[in-house]
Amino acid sequence: MATDNETIQATTSPPVERLAYSIEEAAQMLGINYHSIYRLIQRGKLKACRALRGKLLISRDELLKLLKSE
Amino acid sequence: MRHIMNHYQKPTVQQEQAAVEVKTAFAEHLNQFNASCDAVRDIEGNQSSIANEAFKSALLSHKQNKIIQTDDEMEWRHDLDLSKISSICHRRIAGQIEFAVVESLSLKHGTEMKDVLNRGDNVRKVLQGFIRDQRQVLRLWKDDLNARVKEHLAEKYPGQDMSLVADSFEYKMTRAISETYVHAQSQSHGMRV
Repeated sequence: MATDNETIQATTSPPVERLAYSIEEAAQMLGINYHSIYRLIQRGKLKACRALRGKLLISRDELLKLLKSE
Repeated sequence: MRHIMNHYQKPTVQQEQAAVEVKTAFAEHLNQFNASCDAVRDIEGNQSSIANEAFKSALLSHKQNKIIQTDDEMEWRHDLDLSKISSICHRRIAGQIEFAVVESLSLKHGTEMKDVLNRGDNVRKVLQGFIRDQRQVLRLWKDDLNARVKEHLAEKYPGQDMSLVADSFEYKMTRAISETYVHAQSQSHGMRV
């Protein structure tokens, strides 16, 4: 049985920062459509890596770099 | 004949359900992908008239055209829009005209990117380069989405053979891109009897 203090700690602990995001998540974070995300990847403006099954993932650092570089 | 017939594999009820489920799960992707294929097809189909119009605009209305400054601090004059975010522009250097496809992308938090995608002194070649790049984008998109669909099916239907569903999905996307390409070829080479 968790004490009140433990419950408060569990609910207020900071969310774990994700290391990488899918195309949809990246599109949402940047406020652009999927096509624009793929265009940025194709042009090398946004570096993506391939996960185990071949899907593309974009690192959090890459997204922040793009937002800061403008 | 028998060999050909063996290629056709009737989907099971579960595979049919999975196909519907995948279509729903990736509906937004498919909508955007098909819209992008249509947009590329439109540009391919009208590339001659687009190039002529851009050339005329650069020659006749140079001074009236809106100035666009790209992130590399070059100034271009807007000629015509290719889409909501990309347009054909030009600039005059040493008595010559240079054309470019410029993309203006507004990101969240008010940041804006203005990039030169393709450039050169021949507007037709600039446009062809842009179309070629767009096809590459569509192929990148297709490959990513197919990998995502396979992952989705493997997670939702572990241990079951859903290759038929994944293959069918991939075929539809490949066909959408091929139709774009075939259309472009028929435009550039004319009709053959």
